[in-house]
Amino acid sequence: MIQRFFKTFLLLELLKGMALTGRHLFERKITVQYPDERTPQSFRFRGLHAQRRYANGEERCIACKLCEAVCPALAIKIEVAQRADGSRRTTQYDIDLTKCIFCGFCEESCPVDAIVETRVFDYHGENRGDLYYTKEMLLAVGDKHEAQIAKDRAADAKYR
Amino acid sequence: MINIEIDGQAVAVENGRTVMDAAHEIGKYIPHFCYHKKLSIAASCRMCLVQVEKAPKPLPACATPVVEGMKVHTHSEYAVKAQQGVMEFLLINHPLDCPICDQGGECMLQDVAMGYGGVGTRFTEAKHQVLGKPLGALISAEEMSRCIHCTRCVRFGQEVAGVMELGMANRGEFSAIMTFVQSSVDSELSGNMIDLCPVGALTSKPFRYTARSWELSRRKSVSPHDSLGSNLTVQVKNGRVARVTPLENEAVNECWISDRDRFSYEGLNSAERLTKPMLKQDGKWIEVEWQAALEYVANALRQIGNGAGAEHIGALATGTSTAEELYLLQKLVRGLGSENVDFRLRQADFSADGKRAGAPWLGMEVAEIGKADRLLLVGSFLRKDHPLLAHRVRDAVKKGGQLNVVHSADDDLLVDVANKAIVAPSDLRAVLTQILAALAESKQAMLSNDVQAAVAGVVPSAEARSIAGSLASGSNVAVLLGNFAAQHPEAAQLQRLAQEIAALTSAKFGFLGESANSVGGYLVNAVPGVGGLNAAAMLDQPRKAYLLLNVEAELDTANSQQAVAAMKAADLVVAMSAYKHGAVDYADVLLPIAPFTETSGTFVSTEGRVQSFKGAVKPLGEARPAWKVLRVLGNLLDVAGFDYDSSEAVRADALPENVAPALNNKLDGVAVSATANVAAGLQRVPDVPIYATDSIVRRAPSLQQTRDAATPTVAMNAAELAKLGAGCGDSVKVSQGQGSATLVAKADDTLPAGVVRVAAGHPATAALGAMFGTISVERA
Repeated sequence: MIQRFFKTFLLLELLKGMALTGRHLFERKITVQYPDERTPQSFRFRGLHAQRRYANGEERCIACKLCEAVCPALAIKIEVAQRADGSRRTTQYDIDLTKCIFCGFCEESCPVDAIVETRVFDYHGENRGDLYYTKEMLLAVGDKHEAQIAKDRAADAKYR
Repeated sequence: MINIEIDGQAVAVENGRTVMDAAHEIGKYIPHFCYHKKLSIAASCRMCLVQVEKAPKPLPACATPVVEGMKVHTHSEYAVKAQQGVMEFLLINHPLDCPICDQGGECMLQDVAMGYGGVGTRFTEAKHQVLGKPLGALISAEEMSRCIHCTRCVRFGQEVAGVMELGMANRGEFSAIMTFVQSSVDSELSGNMIDLCPVGALTSKPFRYTARSWELSRRKSVSPHDSLGSNLTVQVKNGRVARVTPLENEAVNECWISDRDRFSYEGLNSAERLTKPMLKQDGKWIEVEWQAALEYVANALRQIGNGAGAEHIGALATGTSTAEELYLLQKLVRGLGSENVDFRLRQADFSADGKRAGAPWLGMEVAEIGKADRLLLVGSFLRKDHPLLAHRVRDAVKKGGQLNVVHSADDDLLVDVANKAIVAPSDLRAVLTQILAALAESKQAMLSNDVQAAVAGVVPSAEARSIAGSLASGSNVAVLLGNFAAQHPEAAQLQRLAQEIAALTSAKFGFLGESANSVGGYLVNAVPGVGGLNAAAMLDQPRKAYLLLNVEAELDTANSQQAVAAMKAADLVVAMSAYKHGAVDYADVLLPIAPFTETSGTFVSTEGRVQSFKGAVKPLGEARPAWKVLRVLGNLLDVAGFDYDSSEAVRADALPENVAPALNNKLDGVAVSATANVAAGLQRVPDVPIYATDSIVRRAPSLQQTRDAATPTVAMNAAELAKLGAGCGDSVKVSQGQGSATLVAKADDTLPAGVVRVAAGHPATAALGAMFGTISVERA
């Protein structure tokens, strides 16, 4: 009872709180000035999807449909056909990013590292349909970020 | 019985069986690749190694006969180590291309590697490469590196298909599956090798890269292409049939299907599919709504019925139509007051009508063919008409049976033929008469009156005597009449003679059956009644209105020339068809109907097996099941009894609960002529090529690229050909009546003198006339 009286009388709690505030006032700030600044990302960051190519420009995807089969959100749609040179290729590879839950299973199931999730997270669309990514769009993302993607795969390689 | 123990479980099996059989008996799975229950034992893959107590090393379960007191362990540490070792060896050279392999997801190697393999490989050297091989239009062998040398395909060829088209050449690491130099795989059962291949070395070419196995939903169906009624699994993706595989039914197709059943699905997705009802107005086809089309048909039929009379309406259907469709068609026509309905379009002789004791059928179960010890095959292109029944016949011969053949062409049946009489079509009756005479002579038997006269005074030829001798020496004899005999202008007499031969040898006797519903058509009474016209008469005496169900008049009839002329002369031709075909020239209305995968229905197979199936996919576009079309047409025409809500309700009316009592091949009152036929000029020997039998098959592109689908030739024996001054490979002109066709001549010395073999049912020969009869040939 007496203790409480002194605490209230001497404004101890207030001083404690002010001390904490005061401490933070002089500490290094952790607020990130997005988009001028960015938080660090893991090489396993799962952002926007991309389709990769080999160095010779050939698309990696062989249309095995494992990603389509594993996708828990049924966000991937693939159609296959035999290309003139006899290889198995997609004629359609769509990811509906409004359905996607970014679980990364597609990336994990891919036997040729064709579908990957990049570090890009700040893409947007103004209509719902804008987030329906087709093969061309995914390949464009891949082409744009290939250097980073390759670096990330290399960093992750020893854990796989 | 031998008592053994597998994993502590006691099991008794017959002497001579293997550990694998015993394991199957108690439902125990032993991993395997080369073992297949229908093929001989190779024991080459070694995957089924098991531990047998007191044996010095692991033993292959598939090739180890059971011994009393044997104790087998399939999952002991010892056995598992052996299995993992074998798996590691098998995977040494197997490429890791599962993601692009069509077998991926349904691959035995994948499954067994997951279940019984180890975790890694110690093999770091280069994998061995095998070049792909061209095997024809149906089987893809592009990726032969995947082969694990189980030799199932080789054994299938030797043991089931009857012809060894694939073999394993070279030894050890260099061994590879290949064809003989430059040949392709042309067997009519070749598609089964795709199913047999435990890996993705042999895959389906038309199916290549179209779907993964997990995307397909599987639905049961029945084959419409031959009279066997093979059970099918129709595999569907996105509302389209993606492929067809066999559904195992030991009594019917075992675990095989013919290539025709397997690859015909391509025709279902053909661009020629009719998707909207069409009417011809002022010579132009316009698409209309169903209501308009059906009302047009109803009005036109009513007008003809009221004007010229109902007997001027005729209905023709093919035997590939379901029993429900045939039933409703005949009910509709009869409701309109006409008796003109028939489904036996390729037949020429209808003198047996009204004299049959029941519906003509196989006269036995299909499985019984394989058990016969003496067979007489009359007039049948067996391998091409009934690919799987041919396998049953081969089976019978392999077990020691004797096959006797009476026919007009000597095609290789891929089996030893004990005796054969290859004669011109007009002499078939004479040969059967001689066989009968020889039998009657040796058995001292009395024949019934209507054949006695024909047999009297006949001196049997040597061939006839040996055939008779062969039949008489059997205890389980089968006499089979093929499609050629059924379509023969003397079909009734041939049947009468065969019936008599069967009676003298206590044989089972019957028809192999022309089409999926050749028994069902009789059962639902889709045949003309008293005063009605049969298929031939309906074309001979042109009607004013024709209802065509699944019929392509120029290809499906016995006399295409006459059929097309009759159609063109008619006031109204209503073509119910899944395809936009030649009917555009002569029809007035085209009604799109659903093929077998898109409708429910029933086929009654040649052995009297009633098999109903459901639609596997939705009808394409505005196509509708024919039973629904006929039902609405019945309503529009105010015919009583057309209030069916389901095809099951139609079936309940159409077919009796038990069809067996209605099946009877007995024929009475058909007199066999005693005078010999005198042939004038060259006679035509028609076969309906295997990939020209019905409208679906004719539109399956891969089948049409096979050797069996090559453009028909004019085959004659070399002497006859030389008389014309033509040689093999020259083009010759064959003519019948008004029509002619220019085809390539081919010398075939297996043909008897005086005959010309020209296929029917093919667009190249559609201009010709009757399937049987005289034909003239000249150099083009």
